[in-house]
Amino acid sequence: MPKTALFVALSLATAGGLGGALETASHAVAQSRIPLLGAARGSPRPAPAWGNKSWLNTEKPLTLESQRGRVVLLNFWVFTCYNCTNTVPSLVDFDRKYRQQGLTIIGVHTPEFPPYSGEHDKSNLQRALEKYHIEYPVTQDNDTRTWDLYGIRYWPSFVLIDKRGQIRYEGAGEFHVGDTDYQHWDGKIRELLEER
Amino acid sequence: MRGGFAAVALLVACGRAEPQATPQRPLVLRTIPAGDSLRLELMAAPGWKINARLKPVLEAAAGGLIRFDSPVLTPDSAYFAAAPVAVVAARAASVRGTLRASVCAVGEAVCRVVVVEVSER
Repeated sequence: MPKTALFVALSLATAGGLGGALETASHAVAQSRIPLLGAARGSPRPAPAWGNKSWLNTEKPLTLESQRGRVVLLNFWVFTCYNCTNTVPSLVDFDRKYRQQGLTIIGVHTPEFPPYSGEHDKSNLQRALEKYHIEYPVTQDNDTRTWDLYGIRYWPSFVLIDKRGQIRYEGAGEFHVGDTDYQHWDGKIRELLEER
Repeated sequence: MRGGFAAVALLVACGRAEPQATPQRPLVLRTIPAGDSLRLELMAAPGWKINARLKPVLEAAAGGLIRFDSPVLTPDSAYFAAAPVAVVAARAASVRGTLRASVCAVGEAVCRVVVVEVSER
């Protein structure tokens, strides 16, 4: 066999569209730790309206407009992501504690791989909801449109939207019931629930 | 290359919105000749883990999917504890394609996708 070497041509062609990504790489090198929770980038800004068609755990699709007056926690996740499923118990707990007080948790299920992975399959997702005891609404984001709309980069990620439809807090990364990050998110949820 | 391997650090695009290159490149792909076939080993660089719940795949340019796997997992079954391996029969044609892997940096607790074009020369 001739001398073998794998030549790797950098390709940034992923589902989200990555034009110009190569140029940003050097900046990314210097990036520090991923913020687990932080204020919305820039300042509080209007949450973009999603248009997802496929939903589970709800009789009809939820729209941003239909959630005015409620606090919304978007969780971008996928059932093949260990960090995501490890965080689900915390979200189930938030749902149990705060749904009646005005919190809507929406799981935005965004696949990592193409459809051959099975992540796009609604029945697989349904099984995951049952496995992890998820009762809050979950929407399929198979075309990554909502992921792109919110500029998400990691699994899991979170966006906390206030009663007026403004993005107030964002973050990424696994957390567990009772830990410091859980308490931070819990505090932010309560803060927004207390607003008029 | 007999008696050795070709180790090429894969320059990666992490995440979907933009690459999150780090000083450490997450993956190294080793190719090891094995008779008429080629053994491919995908190794995580120090500080990185490869998601075993979403097995790495090489989408062969010639068609078909080449899946990497290993029976050796971390105790939580979430990550590979030994390099996932794939064996391709037709060397030159099969090694070309798009490699996808889900990786996690130790200590960050998030998943990212790596997508790279691989071609043999």
